[in-house]
Amino acid sequence: MAALGSGLAPELIRDRRVLPRWLTRERTAPIVTGLVILLIWQVVVSTQLPSFVARPSGIIMAFPSTVASEEFWIDVVVTLGAILEGVVIGSVAGILVGVAMGRVREINWFLSTYIRALYALPLIALVPIVIIWVGYSPASRLVIVIISVFLPVAVTTADGTRAISKDYLDVGRMFGARTHNIWFGIALPSAMPHIVAGIELGFARGITNAIAVEVLASVNGMGMSVFTKSNELNENGSFVYVLCLAIFAVGVRAAMIRFRHWVAPWYRGQ
Amino acid sequence: MADKRSFAARIARFRIVNAWWIRIACYAASIILLLAVWQAFGNSFGVLFVPFSKTMTSLWSMLVSGPLLPALWVSGKLYLVTLLINIVVGVTLGLLLARSKLFAAAFEPYVYILYATPTISLVPFVSVLFGFTFWPRVLVSVLISIFPVLLGTTEGARSIPRQHLDVAAIFGSSEGQLWRDVIIPYVTPYAMTGIKQSIALSMVGTLVAEFFLNPDGVAAVMLEGTTIVDSAWVLAITVFVAAIAVLLVGVGELIERYLVRWRHSAVG
Repeated sequence: MAALGSGLAPELIRDRRVLPRWLTRERTAPIVTGLVILLIWQVVVSTQLPSFVARPSGIIMAFPSTVASEEFWIDVVVTLGAILEGVVIGSVAGILVGVAMGRVREINWFLSTYIRALYALPLIALVPIVIIWVGYSPASRLVIVIISVFLPVAVTTADGTRAISKDYLDVGRMFGARTHNIWFGIALPSAMPHIVAGIELGFARGITNAIAVEVLASVNGMGMSVFTKSNELNENGSFVYVLCLAIFAVGVRAAMIRFRHWVAPWYRGQ
Repeated sequence: MADKRSFAARIARFRIVNAWWIRIACYAASIILLLAVWQAFGNSFGVLFVPFSKTMTSLWSMLVSGPLLPALWVSGKLYLVTLLINIVVGVTLGLLLARSKLFAAAFEPYVYILYATPTISLVPFVSVLFGFTFWPRVLVSVLISIFPVLLGTTEGARSIPRQHLDVAAIFGSSEGQLWRDVIIPYVTPYAMTGIKQSIALSMVGTLVAEFFLNPDGVAAVMLEGTTIVDSAWVLAITVFVAAIAVLLVGVGELIERYLVRWRHSAVG
């Protein structure tokens, strides 16, 4: 009965009939797909498309020379440095404003219109006006990353600190907690899972928006190099940069999960 | 001490009794303050930061006789096609990922890697392969905005309780009945949460595609203003885009609330 009802079983049985047993194992399947994707990519590009189009063999060849160049490391340091700096500033500012919004209704009413409107706005639409105000300079990139992180962190912190359980507040008051104890001793820790989710979202948006500013404002960095290398018909070299950005983005996600386990070990959310 | 406490208590009481009025006052104060500061500062910064009144005049002239309405039509088309593809393809792939174990094991890691990769950095490769026309733009836009629908649907279809499927099997449901009566109603709220996010994200996708694949639509009008450093022009469009974004997010929330009104009783 269970096999009938599980819904998954028929597919599993069918899959095993079509493919050899070891292919269906969860560990080998992604590796096989990856190899097949790479193979198809390599064959299609080298038989159908012009020689400058990126292909796996070309990317592997381009990897050592790209990574060995000094210009690559300068790009990595300025772009990732700006992103990390923006994430730190944006998170701290977002947490402070968010706690104030979550704990004082009047501040929430006063600020929420703008914070939520900006939060809804695709931040890439802010890039042109920031370029006009801050200039065609690395400062524009930093400003955009700060805004990208600040908004989600402020919104999630406000939501998280508003929703704290009344029991915590009652116990706190009974032990004579003052306002700052309630804000930073009770509300902030209990909102930690929300805050980490906000930082994670802001981090992802910050990476994307940093690249967008680099390209639109001609600021040197990894995003700019992806585009210039591609324009110089060095697509393989360009893809090395994309790989590094992807590794950084995936690493950030993994790091944020560990960070959440560290600051909120009790949290068992998704 | 006693006086102080009673004063604090009086304030606390005042805040509770007059909550509604204080709320209105806070909203009004924040809007009036922003407009006043904008107007005042706008007059003293010159070209870089124009006053509110000038921004609105600029927006009005752009809407009536300028390039904004045709651009809006171009961007709107891209947006709607993106959203439609997100819903159809996202839900289909999401169900496949949830209902076929082999498909999930084979492709899920790559879906997550693609999701984490900043899509903007893939734009040069899309333009080399497919050019700068409408469909390459759709591709970039979809790559940016499809994932919430896809992953939301997968999550929903994976969390269907076994009992529901067992009961359907006991009563001899056909495959069609199983989908109509169990799977689709159960997955809809999850897919809707993803679609709601995608309604906002498709706008990001549309703008990114227009900014980076040979500027077109609203993004092109914006960049034009940046090139000639006309801050009234750029500010006006930014405010306009923000208004549309707020509207779309609101519509998404309304649709979600309407479609998932049974969610709390069914899931919670």
